[in-house]
Amino acid sequence: MRITRRVFLRDGSRSAIGLTLAFHLDFSALAAETANAQEFAPNAFIRIGSDNVVRLWAIRSEMGQGVRTLLPMVLADELEADWDKVTIEQARMETRFKGIRLRTSGSGSAAGTWGPLRKAAATAREMLVTAAAQQWQVEPATCRAENNTVVHLPSDRKLTYGQLAEAAAKVPVPAKPRLKDAKEFRLVGKPVKRRDGAAIVSGRAVYGLDVKLPGMLYAVMARCPYLGGKLVSCDPAPAMKIAGVRRVVPVHTGFSGGVAVLAANTWAAIKGRDALRPVWDKGPNASFDSDSFMRELEQSLSQPGFPIRRRGGAPAALAASPRKLEAIYEYPYQVHAPLETMNCTADVRAGSCEIWTPTQAPEAAQQEAAKLLGLSPDAVQVNVTMLGGGFGRRLQVDYVLEAVEIAKAAGKPVQLLWTRDDDMKHGFFHAPKIERLQAGLDANGNLAAWLHKSCGPDLSVLGVPTEADRKNPNFYSDDGMPWGLFDNPYNLPHHAGDFVPIQSPVPTGPWRAVMYPSTVFARESFIDEIAHATGSGPLELRLRLLEPGDVLDLKIAKIDRSRLIAVLRMAAAKSGWTSARREEGGRLWGRGIACNVYSEDCYLAQAAEVSVSKDLNDIKVHRIISAVDCGLVLNPLGIEGQAESAIAWGMSAAMGGKINFRSAQAQEHSFADFKVLRMDQAPRVETYLLQGSDMPGGFGETAVPTVAPAIANAIFAATGKRVRRLPITAAKLVAG
Amino acid sequence: MPQYSLRINGKLRTVTAQPDTPLLWVLRDELHLTGTKYGCGVGVCGACTVHENGAAVRACQIAVSAATGKSYLTIEGLSPAADHPCQKAWVEEDVSQCGFCQPGMIMEAAALLGRQPQASDAEIDRIMAQHVCRCGTYQRIRKAIHHAALTSEKKTL
Repeated sequence: MRITRRVFLRDGSRSAIGLTLAFHLDFSALAAETANAQEFAPNAFIRIGSDNVVRLWAIRSEMGQGVRTLLPMVLADELEADWDKVTIEQARMETRFKGIRLRTSGSGSAAGTWGPLRKAAATAREMLVTAAAQQWQVEPATCRAENNTVVHLPSDRKLTYGQLAEAAAKVPVPAKPRLKDAKEFRLVGKPVKRRDGAAIVSGRAVYGLDVKLPGMLYAVMARCPYLGGKLVSCDPAPAMKIAGVRRVVPVHTGFSGGVAVLAANTWAAIKGRDALRPVWDKGPNASFDSDSFMRELEQSLSQPGFPIRRRGGAPAALAASPRKLEAIYEYPYQVHAPLETMNCTADVRAGSCEIWTPTQAPEAAQQEAAKLLGLSPDAVQVNVTMLGGGFGRRLQVDYVLEAVEIAKAAGKPVQLLWTRDDDMKHGFFHAPKIERLQAGLDANGNLAAWLHKSCGPDLSVLGVPTEADRKNPNFYSDDGMPWGLFDNPYNLPHHAGDFVPIQSPVPTGPWRAVMYPSTVFARESFIDEIAHATGSGPLELRLRLLEPGDVLDLKIAKIDRSRLIAVLRMAAAKSGWTSARREEGGRLWGRGIACNVYSEDCYLAQAAEVSVSKDLNDIKVHRIISAVDCGLVLNPLGIEGQAESAIAWGMSAAMGGKINFRSAQAQEHSFADFKVLRMDQAPRVETYLLQGSDMPGGFGETAVPTVAPAIANAIFAATGKRVRRLPITAAKLVAG
Repeated sequence: MPQYSLRINGKLRTVTAQPDTPLLWVLRDELHLTGTKYGCGVGVCGACTVHENGAAVRACQIAVSAATGKSYLTIEGLSPAADHPCQKAWVEEDVSQCGFCQPGMIMEAAALLGRQPQASDAEIDRIMAQHVCRCGTYQRIRKAIHHAALTSEKKTL
């Protein structure tokens, strides 16, 4: 299989340095490293001790999506382990997990591990049953595993997993273990609470900055504030005058290079860094301004793009249409700003290195640290701590490399902290977009032509397309990109989708929902505009454009329109859908709807209810309901939590902050000027589930992209004002 | 370097630090009380919230030299067995996602319920809006605060 950019984003099969990571689908075939004699260690994820404790390893990073609960649930259910006796440990980059993917991306944790984890656990369960049957000299078929025990049904004899551990280790590995039937699940599908809940609320959960090593120094860096600029010189003296500062060292790797201040404590390192007056070469982008760049993108709409979708002759059909609609939408730069800033603790010794870091990409951390140090990857151990939020930012390992380089220079363990200001200014930002939508309507108001042109930077972490790439018209469409444009689910008679990549000097990378937010904001707003212009009704028009509820075959993706219809109908029913405006309490109330399919396996429709004061100076989002079909539901509590979280994320971008660059510098410093959703603005969130498949789909990002258009559409329903440029602010409503 | 005697979680602790060192870093780096989190350093996210004489304050905004003679409580000291009504309610309502903001949220909520056991939704929103949860767990936090208010009420009856 060709390793595509799409696959990279979802699975990370191609890292920025071009390595290919093996991903063994059949985990159970992997031999475990030698365990002690009393232990049953059938594979890398399961160990059962003679004490009857079942230890399970989570092979994805916990960043709030609940994966340290979800993956062990899958294992424990299939293993018939006692959930109360299970302990959960975090997999790390070490020999034992060699060849097993630990990277966490693309909302793929559940879907990507569901089959292999079940098989691994079923294998272990059958070996335990066989061990018991051998001991009792009975047929394995007369025995059953339940609750950490094997029971001989006819005699009701019981042996615990602990009692069987030593014997089970000697039983041959079954080639095709029986997987449980869905109706036998005890944990899967049930509302299971987070296993880390108690540790978190007591302050015991260990995040990156909570790691303490003996003799550790604390580091904070001055990075070049100008995009693409570099360090010219730096006098260490002002920092060295700060009590507690030990050293000032140059840093060449990581985000932009710079200077690190090493100190006996964090505060001295921060003060030392702030005291430095480095001389920077502003580099080639010194005049970069994001407002000017957005205007440049808008002008670039006249350029021919890469064809992404083609059906019929859209330009001719548009030209021939008696009525035409056109709208331009804008999605600005965004930063991830997880609450825990980037950080990494590293200990570099002669010939080896150990890293403790909140990362979504432990493989890349290991490979790139090894390369930096000239070591073999096996000499680098990466411990994954809890992540205080990830959202795609922690797929980059810039901060890991900085820490490794600094620790090597220091000759001591070093903990590198990014301050909030560092985090705001040195991100891998969400790429901004200008999206132009055009529609041709026939004499009866039916949609005859649909043209969608998306214009903006590619994700810079994927590398700049080569000259040959640019000559290949299918370069993006072969990878199913851009998301939301490529997989537009509607049945449009004449359809043209185009992408015009225009690069900016701003580093860009995956942000929650990656490419969907801008394309879906534009598409779902424009459908609403057409509905209002033709008097069709926003829900009814969507349903009509999804007829006949067939499967849209895009070769590398298949979209089942009937599943999208089903969630739209459910969202309408649960929200008491109406497109009518009402007045109440001196305010204008309206509802908006939007829908999307995330990466072909997760279908979602969302309805928002808003009210706006009559002078338009105050907008309030009251309620957002989601109807979701993400296939088999593994943990409804987790799905509901991810819907709440994704809606808050989508609202932060829709109604809150954006990142502005002036003179090649991000202007925002903290949550004071980069506005994110807070509790007083948080709407009531309701989530309803449908199950349209017996395979789990990924849901961490799905509910993000529809939030902005659902709200914009609701505001239009309430006020007749259309906001096409995010963020939505009262000032924009008043102005126009 | 100067020494300071601080009352933290009911115990007198002596630390050596520069006078302008924020209490946050004294707690984390010197006393290894890492449940108090760094989120912004400028008092706008609430992740470092602790109690000062019973009131919720931002540990990143208090210089150690100004912290003597007062009594501080961190998440580690909120309850002996992590069973404060807020902590229990947070687990019961399955609030936490990444969890990084939650110790600060809990310290704020505990202080609020301590002085206003019947806090209204509007009051809860007003106070808790000083905090950022980037995972957006606000709906469950609201529920958990009501839940904790109920259980504290039952206890006092």
